[in-house]
Formats: sequence, structure tokens, C-alpha cells
Amino acid sequence: METWLDKIENLLASLFANIKLVEKGLLGLEGSYVELLTVLALGMLAVIPIFVPRNNRQIWRHVNQLFGLAIFVFVVFTCLGVFGMIRNFYRGLHEIGRENIIALYYCSVPVTILVTSMLFGPAFCGWICPTGALQEFVASLTRKWTKVHKKMGYSFSPPILIFAIFAALVFLLWMYRLSVTRLFFIEDASIYWSQVLIILLFVLAFRMREWDLKLRRLRILSFLIIAFGAVMSMRITSPVHFGFAKVYDPASFLATVMVALAALAIPMVWCRYLCPWRCVIAWAGKNSVRYIDFDESKCISCSKCTQVCDLDAVVNGKIDIHECHMCFKCVDTCPENCFSVRDDWSRSCKKS
Amino acid sequence: MQKKLILYLSYILFFSVQACNADQWPALRATNSAQGSIVYNGEFPLQEWHYIYKSGRRYKQGLAVWASPALAVVAGHPMAFIGGYDQTMHALDLVTKKAVWRKICNAEIGSAPVVGSINGFDVVFWGANDRSVYAFSAFDGKKLWTRELIEPSTTLGQVEVTSPYLTGTRLYISCFAYDKSLSRNEQSGLLFCLDKHTGKILWRIKAGSGFLSAPVGFVIDGAQYVAVAARRGLVQCFSVSGDRPEKVWEFQMPHEVLGSPAVTMETNPPMMYLGSKYGNLIAIDAVTGTEVWQRMAGNWIDNTACVGMLDGKPAVFVGSHDYRVYAFDAQTGKELWNRALGGEIYSAPSFFNIFDKPYVAVASLDNHLYVLDAKSGAVQTSYFTGQPIWDKVTKGETTWGSPVTISAGSNTVLIHGSFNDVVYTLPLTGECSLTAMARSVGSLWWSLLTVFVVFTGIVLPVCILIPLKKSN
Repeated sequence: METWLDKIENLLASLFANIKLVEKGLLGLEGSYVELLTVLALGMLAVIPIFVPRNNRQIWRHVNQLFGLAIFVFVVFTCLGVFGMIRNFYRGLHEIGRENIIALYYCSVPVTILVTSMLFGPAFCGWICPTGALQEFVASLTRKWTKVHKKMGYSFSPPILIFAIFAALVFLLWMYRLSVTRLFFIEDASIYWSQVLIILLFVLAFRMREWDLKLRRLRILSFLIIAFGAVMSMRITSPVHFGFAKVYDPASFLATVMVALAALAIPMVWCRYLCPWRCVIAWAGKNSVRYIDFDESKCISCSKCTQVCDLDAVVNGKIDIHECHMCFKCVDTCPENCFSVRDDWSRSCKKS
Repeated sequence: MQKKLILYLSYILFFSVQACNADQWPALRATNSAQGSIVYNGEFPLQEWHYIYKSGRRYKQGLAVWASPALAVVAGHPMAFIGGYDQTMHALDLVTKKAVWRKICNAEIGSAPVVGSINGFDVVFWGANDRSVYAFSAFDGKKLWTRELIEPSTTLGQVEVTSPYLTGTRLYISCFAYDKSLSRNEQSGLLFCLDKHTGKILWRIKAGSGFLSAPVGFVIDGAQYVAVAARRGLVQCFSVSGDRPEKVWEFQMPHEVLGSPAVTMETNPPMMYLGSKYGNLIAIDAVTGTEVWQRMAGNWIDNTACVGMLDGKPAVFVGSHDYRVYAFDAQTGKELWNRALGGEIYSAPSFFNIFDKPYVAVASLDNHLYVLDAKSGAVQTSYFTGQPIWDKVTKGETTWGSPVTISAGSNTVLIHGSFNDVVYTLPLTGECSLTAMARSVGSLWWSLLTVFVVFTGIVLPVCILIPLKKSN
């Protein structure tokens, strides 16, 4: 099958490839400029929070989020949503040593996110994540309204109940339309996540104050399901998947609409209760170099930090690092400058 | 050595019996009706196989498949021949699940090969974008001849060579090479006629000023005709019975054309079917070149249609970018059924029978292969063929690979070069690892109900209520 001419040609090719050692080292990246661009672009976005001045930091953050959205939609091919990132990361890890170029292709985005999280904390969530940005931008439309409920601690709220009924109707009608115009697969699992999101809206309408923290455990369950699916080679599409893939994915589109709708009532609802990637980022950023320090002696207990946090990650100055998105809203809002952003390169640091 | 000798002897014996063998896969999609399938009555079992090839060449890491395969039974073994963007023609033995031979060309192979017969021996013919046609023995990959269609020139740009069409002793093939020294309207899309035994160019004719489709041939009243469609929509039919081609008719499609015509002799008059980029499927009288009927799909039809027999009547099947596969009565154009699938249908359909029951297989941009009941359009089964490795495919500018089928009863397999670099051989009747879980509308609602019950009945109590009770 392989003639002696082929052998000679391949031998010569391998000989000449070995002469240029520098080039040889970079061969693994050959033909993967899109992935390199992804790594560079995401890395750059992750570094921006370090440089932006405190004045107008939130505007800079929103600009960064817009760039993040653009990069994910126009540059990144490999992400395929939060679920796809976990699945593809697993697949990419398998390819290391066998097909390094493919490994880079699949690992570039998750590795960039994990590494930047380890260094700069979960800034990806607050500054880059397209799903987070989408929810935040959408939620800004109803911020005034949700703020009132937030003060009351989201006790039973008829408006949220009515909204949940409306969201459920949208979901069911859309599902009906899709079911008669398109063939569905088990892989279109994003519809289940959006269904759970709708059910959660009903639950939250009655029991948000009591159940909020407990419900956040669902993220672990979400992660376990996705990780199990990845190991079992099951293809599960996630919300916002349609934004990355060229393939039109109506199930994913519907799930994204549901996330956006739900975020109108409960800010950052996806991040709070269902995002599987959030567990991993929180773990990676637990001992990050960059952290937010709180000076209790300056605190006048005005609770502005608590009110401003969409994730309820700050309670009277105490930041829950499992929930914090490093958006620095609390830092920028505090009238007494109790919060300060610090970089501690000492590995022995343990932050609360 | 002994084994090889026995193989050669059995090969010669096999062909001495079938010395008058006709061409097994003479056209782009097997026949001029573009069914994309062959029948295999042998006893060798055909099993699932995922063929991946990494050449180790620096300029290309693996086999990027954009072309369709050709099938033939060679020395008793069903074989698939498929070219890729790794510039290599792969000959795959579907029984032993091995690549029997590979031939590297000097440019990508973007079109399907054909398999014909020369002196009783099966020969694979294909065109590569190095402006050449190749003829190699199907059995062992020995070269018979190669022919450069267009002289090399420093002003040549993009080249596209289509699939050949074989009939009698002749091979027809289209080639377009963009010449940078000429203006757009001065370009030449050429139709070539070669001697299939020697590769000698018998004649060539300009059939357009751009890309051409693969030629398709048919015989009416003993006269041989070859039709070719230009990318800009001009379909031309030539009488090729004599030494020189004579244009018989031409037909202007309303829009651009990416696929090749499919012809059936089962209608009266014989008809040709061609889809346009903006969704028109047009039936053309193959004798006069006039439009017989026209139907509209919801979006592009960018690949070849296929004609199969349903209850003794010809039906034409076509896939569209509106997610649907359409079946029309080939004679009247009456819509028999249409079926929405999970994504844009970019492939040509493959029509085949299993135990006399007709089926259609299509590939969709949702990375699934679907097998439909050809009579009702109901989805019989589907397969997940993987995400594209490099998701940079541009719709509407090229045609991608389409599935082909070996119809062999319970041994039936479907072969598809997927754009994730894998050539899949998938059993249609037995178990297959890629079988996708496509669902009916009813089961979709049931699964939503199940999720509701599981979440509210199990997940919420276990994760929230019980821990909450304990903490209180």
C-alpha cells in the first residue's frame, strides 16, 4: 500500500521537519490560529479587569461583556455553550498526546477560563461569560422592579407567579410549534434545563427567601449530569449553543429565550441555580491571587453592597466566594470604601 | 505470497465469469437516476466501521471528506472508494474493514469517483483538482492511466474537476479552471470526452463560463446524450453518439445550480430533475429540453435529486435547506410527502430497498443521517455522525458528501464520508453505536412530563426539602 517512494517522501519530510527545532515545537499549533486567537482574546478580556480604573469600572465591565459576546459568537467555535465546554474539555483531555491539535482545539477555552479563574478569581463570570452578560443586560430592563422584591427578600410574590405562568405558556407554545416542525433528539437536552428553569420560577415565587441557598445546590447536580454525559459520550446541547454553532439549533435558542425571560424576574437566575460551569469556576477561583478584601472597621452597615449584588453573594460585607462573580459592583458602590481589590501572590493565603 | 496468489487467481476467476460486466458505478450517484446505491447478494457480513486516516503529511493532518463515495463489488468484496481534501483516494474493503490501497494526487479530491469496467476488470476513475483524471485498478490500486485535462499555466487559479460519467468506451467529465489572465465572462467550463481505456481526450467543448456540474448521460432511441448544468443555471444537453458533440437543447434554470441533473427513463417523456439554489425543483423534458413541471421548496436545493420507484411509479426525492425532504410524483410533480428533519438537508438522497421495502437516506446539517420510509417519509432511524472538526463550512458555495447504500437485506449498510473526517459504514438493520435517539412528537411530550415529575417529585424533595427539614 505504501510504496517505497511514499516512504522516502515521508522520511525526507520528517527529516526536514526536525531540522527547524523552533518550528517543530510550534507544529502542534499549525492550522489552529482560530484557537490561538480565542486563547489570546479571552486571556486579554480576563486581564482587562486588572487595568481598568475604578472610575466607571462598571461601564468598562459592560464593554468587556459586549466584547466577550462578540468573541464567543464570531471567533470561538469550540465552546458550544456551558455544557459543551465541559464535554469538549473531557474530549480534549483524551486527545492530549494523540492529537494535540484537536486537544488544543477543545481545551483552549476551558483551560483559559480555569487558569484566569485561578489567577483573577471568577472574573470570567462577571466580565466575559456571554450567558451571564445576556442575563445582566436583560435584567437591567426590570432592575427597578426586582430591586423592590429583593429588599423584601423575595417572599411570595404574585407578579413573579404571573410571570412564571407567562413564561411557562411561552415555553409550551414554542415547544408545540417546534415539535411539529422539527425532529427532536435526546441530545436537545437544553429544553429540559429550560423546563426546570420554568418550574424553578414557580418554586421561587413562593419560597425564594427560604430556599434560595438550598436551590443553588442544583448547580452541582447540573454539573454531575453534564459530566456523566461527557463520560458516556452523550451529546447535550446547552442554552446559547446556537450562538456558537453554525448549525441552527432551535432547542438551544428556545432555552436561551427562557433564560433571558427568567432573568427578567430573578436576576442571574441561570448562574444562581443551574449553571454547571459555575461550580468549577468557584472551585478554581477559591484561592485566586486576586480577591476582594473587606475592612469591617469602616463598615456602617448601610447594606448597599447587599442590595447591589445580583447574586446575593454579599451579606453585610461578607462575600461568599462560591457565589461571587467578581463584578466589583459592591466595591464600586460602597460609600465608605470598605472593599478593596487585592492581589496576593503568596500561595499560603486563605481567604474567607 | 500463497495467499496473494490465491487472491489474484480468485480475482481473475471472478472476472472471467463476469467478463462482460457492465460499469458498476458509472455516474456521480451510481446511475443517471442518482439513486446512490448498489445491490449486494454476497454472503460476507458488512459491519459497522469508522474509518479515520491520518496521513502524517505536514500540509494536512487527516482525511477531510467533502466528496461522496462510490461503491462496487470487487473480487466478491463490497468496496467503497472515496476521496478527500487530504488529496488521497481511499479504497476501503468493507468486509475486512481495511484500506486496500490509497493514491495520493496533487490536489484535493472534491468529487465522487466512479467505477467502471475495462476488459472485465473494475477500474476506479476520478477527477482531482490538479486538473487530472485518474484511472486505477479497483482491486489493487495499480495505475492504468492519468490524464491532465488542462495545460498548466502560471495564471491558473481555482480548479474544480467533477465526477466522471461512464458509458460504453467513453468517459465524460467536466472541469473548470479559473484563469486569472481572463475576465470573468471569458472563463471556460469545459466538458471533456475521454477514451476510457487509454485516457485519450477525444474532444472537449466549452459548456459555460464557470463551474459545471458532473455530467449525466442517457439513451433515447439508441442515441447517447450527455447533459451538464453550469453553476449559473444553464443546462445543456449534447448528442454524443458521433465523433463530435452536438448541442441538442439548452434550458436556463431560474437561479444558480450546485447539484447535477438526475434522469429517469420511467416517465413519458424521459425527464431530468434539477434543483436550484433558491429552491426550485424543475422537471425538464429530456428529449426537448422544455419544462414539464416545477415545484418550490422552502429554501435552497443545493444537491442532486434522486429518482426511485414506488409501487411501480417513479418518484423524485430531494432535500432542501428548509430542513425538509420532499417526494414528488416524477411524472406529474404531485407532492407525495415532505418530512421536516433536524437540520438543513445538504446531501443528495440515496434510494434503496431492504426486502423490497423502499427507503431514502439523507444527511443533514444537524450532523445526523436519517433513513426515511420512501413511501410515507416516516423516519425509520437516524445516526449521529459527529460535529465537524473544523466548523468553517460555508453554505451554498459547494456541495458536500452524500450517503450511499449497499442494499443487502439484513446486511444493508450505509456509507457516508462525514465532515468530521470519518468515513462511516453503518449497519441499517442491526445494532449500531451511532444510532441517534430521534423521537416522535408524542414521546417528546412524555419526556418533558417525565422531567417534570422527576424534578418536582425526586430532585426538589431530596436536594431541598429533606435537607431543609433536617437543618430546622
